[in-house]
Amino acid sequence: MANGQFPEALIQQLSQKFRDHHFGDVMVVGGGVSGIQASLDLASSGFKVYLVDKAPSIGGHMAQLDKTFPTNECSM
Amino acid sequence: METAAPFKEAIDELRENGAEAFKFCYQCGKCDTVCPWNRVRNFSMRKLIRETTFGLIEIEREELWRCTTCGRCPQECPRDVKQIDNIIALRRFAAGYGVFPGPVKPIRTVSGNLTADGNPFGEERAKRADWAKDLSVKTFEEGMEILYFPGCYLSYDARLKKVAAATVKILNKAGVNFGILGAKENCCGESIRKTGNESLFKRLARENIKTWIDHGVQKILVSSPHCYHTFKNEYPKEFKVNFEVVHISQYLYELMNEGRLRINKDYAKKVTYHDPCYLGRHNGIYDEPRALLNKIPGLQLDELPESREKSFCCGGGGGRIWIETPKSERFANLRLEQALAIGAEELVTACPYCITNFEDSRVVLGHDDLIQVKDITEVLQEVV
Amino acid sequence: MEGEAGDFQITLIKKPKYIDEDQCTGCTACVEYCPVKYPDPFNQEISQNKAIHIYFAQAIPLVTYIDDSCLYLKEKKCGICEGICKNHAIDFNQRAEKIEVKVGAVILAPGLEPYDPGLRHDYGYGQFANVVTSLDYERLMCATGPYQGEILRASDRKHPHKIAWIQCVGSRQVIPGGNSYCSGVCCTYAQKQVILTKEHDAEAECTIFHNDIRSYNKDFERFYQRTESLPGVRFIRSYVSIGREIPASKNVTIRYSTPDDGVKEEEFGLVVLSVGLNPPADYTALADKFGIELNAHGFCQTNPVDPMEATRPGIFVSGAFRGPTDIPESVFSASAAGSECGELLNYRRGKLTQARIYPPEKDVAQEEPRIGVFVCHCGANIGRIVDVPATVEYALSLPHVAYAQEQLFSCATNSAKEISDMTREKGLNRVVIAACSPRTLEPLFRDTLREAGINQYYLDMANIREHNSWVHSKEREESTRKAQDLIRMSVARARHLEPLQEFDLPVNKAGLVVGGGLAGMTAALSLANQGHEVYLVEKESDLGGMARRLHSTLEGLDVQQYLIDVVGKIYRHPLVHVYTEAAILETGGYVGNFATKVKSRGRVMEIKHGATLLATGAEEYRPTEYLYGEDERVVTNLELEEQIAGRDERLVGARSLVMIQCVGCRNAERNYCSRVCCSHSIKNALNLKALNPQMDIYILFRDMRTYGYYEDYYREAAGKEVRFIRYEPTDPPEVEPAVGEEGLGVLRVTVTDPILGKRLEIDADVVALAAAVIPSAGSQEAARLFKVNSNPDGFFKEAHVKLRPVDFVADGIYLCGMAHYPKFITETLSQAYAAAGRALTLLSHDTVVASGSVCEVNERKCIGCGACISACSYGAIEFRETRQGKKAVVNPVICKGDGLCNAKCPTGAISLKHHTDEEILSQIDAAVQP
Repeated sequence: MANGQFPEALIQQLSQKFRDHHFGDVMVVGGGVSGIQASLDLASSGFKVYLVDKAPSIGGHMAQLDKTFPTNECSM
Repeated sequence: METAAPFKEAIDELRENGAEAFKFCYQCGKCDTVCPWNRVRNFSMRKLIRETTFGLIEIEREELWRCTTCGRCPQECPRDVKQIDNIIALRRFAAGYGVFPGPVKPIRTVSGNLTADGNPFGEERAKRADWAKDLSVKTFEEGMEILYFPGCYLSYDARLKKVAAATVKILNKAGVNFGILGAKENCCGESIRKTGNESLFKRLARENIKTWIDHGVQKILVSSPHCYHTFKNEYPKEFKVNFEVVHISQYLYELMNEGRLRINKDYAKKVTYHDPCYLGRHNGIYDEPRALLNKIPGLQLDELPESREKSFCCGGGGGRIWIETPKSERFANLRLEQALAIGAEELVTACPYCITNFEDSRVVLGHDDLIQVKDITEVLQEVV
Repeated sequence: MEGEAGDFQITLIKKPKYIDEDQCTGCTACVEYCPVKYPDPFNQEISQNKAIHIYFAQAIPLVTYIDDSCLYLKEKKCGICEGICKNHAIDFNQRAEKIEVKVGAVILAPGLEPYDPGLRHDYGYGQFANVVTSLDYERLMCATGPYQGEILRASDRKHPHKIAWIQCVGSRQVIPGGNSYCSGVCCTYAQKQVILTKEHDAEAECTIFHNDIRSYNKDFERFYQRTESLPGVRFIRSYVSIGREIPASKNVTIRYSTPDDGVKEEEFGLVVLSVGLNPPADYTALADKFGIELNAHGFCQTNPVDPMEATRPGIFVSGAFRGPTDIPESVFSASAAGSECGELLNYRRGKLTQARIYPPEKDVAQEEPRIGVFVCHCGANIGRIVDVPATVEYALSLPHVAYAQEQLFSCATNSAKEISDMTREKGLNRVVIAACSPRTLEPLFRDTLREAGINQYYLDMANIREHNSWVHSKEREESTRKAQDLIRMSVARARHLEPLQEFDLPVNKAGLVVGGGLAGMTAALSLANQGHEVYLVEKESDLGGMARRLHSTLEGLDVQQYLIDVVGKIYRHPLVHVYTEAAILETGGYVGNFATKVKSRGRVMEIKHGATLLATGAEEYRPTEYLYGEDERVVTNLELEEQIAGRDERLVGARSLVMIQCVGCRNAERNYCSRVCCSHSIKNALNLKALNPQMDIYILFRDMRTYGYYEDYYREAAGKEVRFIRYEPTDPPEVEPAVGEEGLGVLRVTVTDPILGKRLEIDADVVALAAAVIPSAGSQEAARLFKVNSNPDGFFKEAHVKLRPVDFVADGIYLCGMAHYPKFITETLSQAYAAAGRALTLLSHDTVVASGSVCEVNERKCIGCGACISACSYGAIEFRETRQGKKAVVNPVICKGDGLCNAKCPTGAISLKHHTDEEILSQIDAAVQP
């Protein structure tokens, strides 16, 4: 570094670190109906959103419901 | 339909007598659904609570005296209405006016006996230690490991004296250095308190506490869950005393674990265990009696359909042990049938009231030869 | 998580699925061969699933994952799936991956956990086979559930005939293991389950054991009545205990209490526990991670006047983590949290998003139709029933079909790319996709066509799943024939499809907010804080609406002080323009381009705005019951609140006060519950008790509807000896002037207490009526002007009760506050933020796209009868004077393409593009002439 040169390894490390970083506006934690709606609204109004969920699929508890009141239509 | 106005003075008087949490009731009816009375006849705790809310109590009705304080409804009550406190307040209220309906009348005699002799039966105080005559039981002295407090039923009742004897036998086997107070022992006062006689309870309790202090008592062993409950919870609350209290089922379990007591015989019987209300629900002691029974080789322990937290009351608590109950309304009969239905040869429990009621049911139902009723100490004495 | 609002760094652990998601097509061949079975968590562990499986039938992403029960993961054995998978999607080398994300804000929407009834052992759950939770029951009823939608008992796999629901399991209780709050959803979901059960089996006998029935939300009261009126349905007011399990039948007995006949014990084939809502399972860990505080119940602590805000700046919360919440509130609180994020991050809006760029569109209108047909297997959904290869062969035999192929999942990213690639490669100019309902995936496939460089309206979808394989799963041959019929019809229609243009309309960035109450002001501020000009119109001379009459909330908010703050913010905000004493004269235009004439203080002006928010509030019913208006000692709840705030001497000195609930609603005339009155009465009672603890207060109610956390205040009031007396609508209380003790004039209230079995006579100094909340005159006026719908009770009707709760059907118009339905301040504020958030999804864009599938009028055929104008619910059609007289003309921007007008037109002058007679008739011809 004394002669103004970055060691190759450090450059790689730095660029790797940059690649590992994801940049977004909002993170939504939970992919149930509320998280999905928040993500959709934000994405449609100009924000980049990360939606994270602990399950293998989004949907949350609402996906488990057969139908939903008071209109009794499918919740999917 | 009758019209009535809320009776403020009555509400105030009930409150002075300790009724407080009734105001939380939202009339869900849960108490009625778990109440053992509704297995034998209609009885509505909800209605009593509602009557308290408006001070519309008919004090001459027997309803006030039904509750066995089994503790089933307060345990389930979503609003924490503390039904037992409210019931006691109602009884204090009625007793204050000297109103005891027909079947409840014996309470008066019992109160008199307790006042005079320190026991509910009217037996002589001097004879309180007679049960121990042939058992060479020592009188308690300071420095002994533990005070054994058999209580009124084990001291005087013919059937229950056997339990006291069994207890002594086991304690001796384990080499426990214990003594009794004999004639200096008084009724614990638990049940008379539930009938609304607060002053008598306090008098009995004070005398007991004084005796214990005088004798340098630190640790007390009891056979009755009722004694246990009042010593463990009510004495400390009312009198700020702090004696160590242990129930025989806990104590034997302790002795067993410490290796002081050994089982050396088989007991090849099908038994079931009935949780006394004041041992189980009121004090959370469910596991030690079962653990004891399960240690006995050959013994097959089957659970009753309503056990542990849901245990079905024998009918003896809350002063009901002294109140006349028609045959068709005795909870103990149902309980005995439950035990028979699961094929038990012995119904084991750990409370003198329960034993009294079950023994009575055995005779009344004609099941003498089908099933035995035993205290847990009676089972243990045969295998140690 | 580290950092602060605007700059958070979050580290995520992405758990391995052991599946390469880009390679997996979701074909489920691996699932079939996987030897490991374990209880399926999605089906509440009622049925088994494989170690490798798709989480649930409609999962997104629709790919498999491998569970911990996998033999390979546990013992390095098996690995069958690796050999089965043709796409080499299985990857056992995947490891948990650490991902770092930088964001400006976080929305926590972790949801809820159903209450576990095993905790208290009190209903035999986990002990008796035929006791299930309501969530178990949801799965039992569901077509994708453990028994394919057959409601079967665990003990014998038979249909239960007598079913009981037990309400408030885990809720409204202060015993250990329970929750003191009301979960707010169980009454109505149990009713839903009863209705659905009766649809499964009309003979089923359903009994709901309950305490209060809490039908406090919009249309819930009717829903309750609908349930109650079904044959074989009983509502029994009693909490219950489980009696026993009958050994032979495994039926379960329930003991319940009746006021007149004591306790009864009854046998049921199945018992459903209506379990309440708990905070998410890992709530303390979650709170620690994000550095937020929780309330006493373990839900997120929020601010009553900023109800989406967690205690740490930059962290917002939506959905059930805020407390027990139903679906509409979960959805609108999400939009509201979105709006709050928007306020925080407005400076960076649009910086990280990218616009899609499509290839130029090829003009193929003059070409001979060259149709491509893509037949989807939908995993096994279609492929296992319909002979897909034979259907592809058949499609190739149809006229104009130039190409056909099968696809495992047409909607998968690689399949969609295949469609656009093949369209280009084979020179296709029409595409038929034989798959599922266009309702869900048509937008995706239209996009695929745009990618392929042809007009997106050259697409037709043949629904061979919902309309075919799902409903004819047992008739394979016929099902294949029907698939072919449907494809033939689609191909016939596709021949006639025309290219349609969607047009971009400019969006005016300003918003109009009608109604200057808390709802309107809050929405206006949220819009303005995101850089939008807002016009706030209020009919009164002062802002504040209903809140001007409120002084406190149960949570302890000083409403008047808060109102002063908000009004101050409104007047200070440079982007908010306030018009008071204002009336709307007329309004017109369409999404993104509205124009409204407002008259305020004698001046008339025209406001141009892109979005409209209606927050026109509600009013208090003026009772005609219980001597109101005749005796000044009878007041309404709001009047009582005024008197409490003013420390009215006669009130504070009253010895006895009676409140009567449900005055003017829950009756034939107003068949709804006003939602706020139970808690309002409790608030007044608590405030009165604070002023005069000696006052005897009685609340005469039908059902106490203190849902959610309000239940705690109900108990608190009971603890302060407010006495609650239930009355039946058939035997309402009576109020009459009388002379009481000491010869003083009183109001004598007589009411029957069902538990006491007596008529109670109460001498009251004051009687307060919980008067209904009724729609405002302003709302009715707004509904007329803005051509928006109201429900039968006169409250605004949202586009979709659950999924679009603050949108109107008409684009660009949103609603919030009491105009939607009576609600509390906190709820109003959430909804106001939500309306702003939804408006932002429009206003943040420069343009809005209008559909090409709209109506047009053939002027030569139009006779100017106006039938189409009256048929149109959107006001999209107007008359225009021409030399041939009045002619109808469609404003394509407003037209929603529902085609109602087409059916009404007597001369066939009006037609709907993309659904022309020619297109539809050719389809019908193809159906009848194979």
